[in-house]
Amino acid sequence: MATPAERLPDETLLAGLGAGDAELSVAFVRRFQGVVFGVAVTVLHDRNLAEDVAQQAFERAWKHAQMFDGRQGTVRGWLTRITHNLAIDTLRVRTSAPMDPGDLATLLTEIADSPERVAVANDSAAGLRFALRRLPREQARAVTMAGIYGMTARQVADAEGVPVGTAKTRIRYGLQKLRAALLPEDAGDD
Amino acid sequence: MTEPTDSSGMSCDEFAQMAAELALGVLTGRERAAALAHLDGCESCRELVRELTMTGEELLALLPSREPPAGFETRVLERIGLPAPGQSRSSHQRSADRRADRPAAGRPPARPAGRPRSRMRTALSAAAVAVALFVAGLGGWGLRGATGPSAPVTASALSTAALVTAAHQTVGMVTVYKHTPWMYMSVNLDGLGNVTVKCQLENAAGQFTTIGKFRLTDGYGTWASAYPSQGAVIGARLLSANDTVLATATLR
Repeated sequence: MATPAERLPDETLLAGLGAGDAELSVAFVRRFQGVVFGVAVTVLHDRNLAEDVAQQAFERAWKHAQMFDGRQGTVRGWLTRITHNLAIDTLRVRTSAPMDPGDLATLLTEIADSPERVAVANDSAAGLRFALRRLPREQARAVTMAGIYGMTARQVADAEGVPVGTAKTRIRYGLQKLRAALLPEDAGDD
Repeated sequence: MTEPTDSSGMSCDEFAQMAAELALGVLTGRERAAALAHLDGCESCRELVRELTMTGEELLALLPSREPPAGFETRVLERIGLPAPGQSRSSHQRSADRRADRPAAGRPPARPAGRPRSRMRTALSAAAVAVALFVAGLGGWGLRGATGPSAPVTASALSTAALVTAAHQTVGMVTVYKHTPWMYMSVNLDGLGNVTVKCQLENAAGQFTTIGKFRLTDGYGTWASAYPSQGAVIGARLLSANDTVLATATLR
């Protein structure tokens, strides 16, 4: 079947990448390079470092293509997670410097207030942005530090000048409120 | 009602205090080991972690896309050892030698792989490992003794067809690589719930061979594996556990 690669679903392109299919692999990289590089450069701020991480992410996707499990989410989500893990590992190795508060504020503004930057606007993204804007500022910062920059509660506590227990609570409450925004009919609670 | 605790004495309340950090991948050391041990015996906390992990993933999905530097695509393909568009055969052959170094053990048979944490794997049961892998974001389902094709194939060696029910409803897709015996099937059958299904391929003589069984969760599942080479594959079908044909695909 001569389907142009650009019209094939994500999972077929991923399967093609894993199998070494040249045409499908090119289409896969083209489709996701913006997502992958975006994650890397947001976390690392350094474009050269980000490109290296982005390349590693595609290499890892190629090696682990058969491990992708569609039940656990989308190809985009899987690839984002791979890239984010690599970026965080690189960040941890490369620097022990505390995060620049300016970077965090910029990121928060960007992801909470600028829906037009995202190519695909969907209900859950809009709901999540809204919930993020409504979080107490310290919880939004804590969740972003932990969730985007991979900072532990200890590192969040140090960055914010609060006890570890306070940082843990902020991460917990912040993430739970975001979860509630995505699962409004969630009946059970911990 | 007494609060459930695991064998180390951690209650679900105590677990809940670190569930967000675990889901975001920032829990470390003893806390992480204790949390994972609690998860081993607690489905409701596993569900909590699943939801929080999903929330973390949605947070990452808010990150903006960014155009990489020029030539990025070519460099990625070179790194993997595939011909970039317009690349010559001879330069591709040199890259192919590098690809031969790619470990086939990157796809270990019948074992979910993930980031190497051997201490964790030996200490916890398979259920906790599955959740930990989910938390680590790699997910995974075991391949049945299969390794992927190592030689690049051209698009013309790829055949994809929709899986279609008797009522002409498309419920999935199957991809077969003709010169390398490798196949991939994905199924999305609303209403079927959590069942075991079978994947079969049909050869030119009209014989069907069962390639594997896999589970659907809420009607969704995928299967990827090698298949016994038996000449041309002209079709595929999906069967229920009691051999009812659920859907068929016609390949060329």
